[in-house]
Amino acid sequence: MDLLQRFAFGDIDAFETLARKHQGEIYGWIVSIVRDRAIAEDLTVETLWRIYQARHRFRADGNFPAWARRIATNLAIDHLRVRLPEDPLISEPSAGAPRDYLLERETRDQVRQAFRRLPAKLQVTATLALVEEKPYDEIADALGTTTGAVKTRVFRAVRILRKQLTQLGLGPASTK
Amino acid sequence: MNEHDDRQIHDALRQTFPPVDMELRRDLWPDVLRRLDARPQAIPWYDWALLAVGAGVLLYSPKLVLVLMYHL
Repeated sequence: MDLLQRFAFGDIDAFETLARKHQGEIYGWIVSIVRDRAIAEDLTVETLWRIYQARHRFRADGNFPAWARRIATNLAIDHLRVRLPEDPLISEPSAGAPRDYLLERETRDQVRQAFRRLPAKLQVTATLALVEEKPYDEIADALGTTTGAVKTRVFRAVRILRKQLTQLGLGPASTK
Repeated sequence: MNEHDDRQIHDALRQTFPPVDMELRRDLWPDVLRRLDARPQAIPWYDWALLAVGAGVLLYSPKLVLVLMYHL
């Protein structure tokens, strides 16, 4: 019986082998979405726990990393949905900071806030597609959708962001 | 929406969210093991639903107990 079959039957040693082998990859995927090391570690542990709980649903001839990525993505989306509002991102200017640097930082803070107002699924899709530049088919697989739906979500995210940033006086021309 | 604007939004996002370190610095297996020990396996909702349906059927038609026992 191979490793995946043993895992599907609940063999904890097989699961340990799989977990140790894939934990780095799962963590990397999650941290690229949530962009926080500590949260990504917690979500990786939760992902591996859920993988073990759902082992009966795993097809032994299936693609374990892709399955793990899908579970991880769902957890990351749930995390973004319930994430508490952050501390104000626009900090008080320090006395010695150059004015241009402060403006740039303020702009980045506003872009970040606008981005975090997007629905969680759009945030995840846009992060993976535009920031991380992952292939659309990989994103679609992780989200359990089609590449067409991913393109639509990216389009929607960009449109909403553009609108929000324009309202803030930060249209595309001033976000450089 | 024109392509130039899209590119600028794209650039703004990449500047706002700089690359993150994707390397895992520690082994998470001990944490997973603790979690597995700490949280007993929950009974999934569909098992409860199945149990409820079964109980409902038996209450509605108690004679089915005999059929059930025969099959057990």
